[in-house]
Amino acid sequence: MESPSQRQQTKNPARQPVIPAKHVPVSEQGAGIQPRRAIPALALGYILPPALAITLAIVVWEAWVRAASIPIYIVPAPSAVIARLTGDLAFFALHGGITLAEALAGFALGAAVAFTGATIMAHSRFMERTLFPIAILVKVTPIVAVAPLFVIWFGFGSLPKVFIASLITFFPVLVNAMVGLRAVNPGALDFFRSLHASRTETYLKLRLPSSLPFLFAAFRISIPLSVIGAVVGEWFSGDRGLGSVIIVAHSNLDMPTLFSAILVLAFMGIALTVLTAYIERKSLFWHDSTMAI
Amino acid sequence: MTDAASGSIELSGMQPRELQRQKGIGFVSQDAALLPWRTALGNVRLPLQVNGNGASSDSLAIARQTLSAVGLADFADYYPHQLSGGMRQRVSFARALAISPELLLMDEPLSALDEMTREEMRYELLRLWERQRPTVIFVTHSIPEAVVLSDRVIVLSARPGEVVADIAIDLPRPRHQEVERSPQFLAYTYKVKDALSSGIPIATPAN
Repeated sequence: MESPSQRQQTKNPARQPVIPAKHVPVSEQGAGIQPRRAIPALALGYILPPALAITLAIVVWEAWVRAASIPIYIVPAPSAVIARLTGDLAFFALHGGITLAEALAGFALGAAVAFTGATIMAHSRFMERTLFPIAILVKVTPIVAVAPLFVIWFGFGSLPKVFIASLITFFPVLVNAMVGLRAVNPGALDFFRSLHASRTETYLKLRLPSSLPFLFAAFRISIPLSVIGAVVGEWFSGDRGLGSVIIVAHSNLDMPTLFSAILVLAFMGIALTVLTAYIERKSLFWHDSTMAI
Repeated sequence: MTDAASGSIELSGMQPRELQRQKGIGFVSQDAALLPWRTALGNVRLPLQVNGNGASSDSLAIARQTLSAVGLADFADYYPHQLSGGMRQRVSFARALAISPELLLMDEPLSALDEMTREEMRYELLRLWERQRPTVIFVTHSIPEAVVLSDRVIVLSARPGEVVADIAIDLPRPRHQEVERSPQFLAYTYKVKDALSSGIPIATPAN
């Protein structure tokens, strides 16, 4: 009698380690905003509460699975997931590494193409009118719909995954870079004009650095997206990467493996976001966004 | 200031290209408009690096020299956000002067500063000007500022911006703070004031 509603309720705690993991970056950024005055006590104030919450959720989850004798093919106990993960760390490291490499390669490709496009469009309204609708077309096409096509075109290796990741990365970078390249201090632009600076020079010395805050905002969105792109690509073909690990585990009802793969992906997301925030803080030391309290 | 003396803001639209290309025109805007990712020194160096003529070691030496001329030698490695408003504006003066321009365009360069800094800065500007004595076109809303700094004050009416008066200021140079207490200075100030009110549509009778 009780079990359906209870299961419904506890499904959330069961996912706690995964879903907050996606949200941790946000609080990480919050923590990152005041790094200048970062003292251990302050860092503790940011790390301790979420760590306690997650620990508590894991304990409740474990207790519930044991008490209600939930079958392992429905919800595995955290201890079973941890055992699976640590028992074959090399397996998850290998497939995680492949997914990570595909995601990052796709991100690099997508960001490079987007930035080149933004440079062209930021300099010419005509080119913007010509190319931007195509970019929107790319944006609105569901990635899941394109993925099988890419498999046919590019085979079963890493290539289709990289392309899918780059496709999903493309649009946020394009739009932000375009805005950033145009959002230039007008006084500084006048100064460059007074020197008769060339377009290239104005671009390299003024527009490009001015666009960095916008670019990093785009990267924060695009980098986690690129991981999604790689995983989606792996669902459709190949036998490598966490996406295919998930598919195989799913068809075998191998829940500990499935949860482990999700956990690895979540931590990958956290690590990438923290790393981006760190690089952003270091390179945008001059920008208001890193100085605000 | 000879053949260009037909307007103030319009002038920047009519800058001769050639002089620009030879880096003959310095420009200072209302806000300092420094590049926030460059240090004070890097900002002063910028006009020497744009269009890339001049060896980099030269440009560094010139930038350092110009920066110490505005009294910021000790702040060479500071970023704009670490400097006060007055300091930032000094950096932008140095940036304009680094190329030793023949013509210096200044668009209300002191208007963003507080009153105290602003008054000090007038004489700082005069001192800097004495080094190279470029032609300066200086736009301002402050009458004392105009009189203290200028050889000629051209008064423009509100709308349309037409030349109302062209007043030669014959005060001895170099000028110091005391000049503001002299009767000639006051006379010129009133003259400019009268010209200004004659340019305002609802003119108040000046005595």
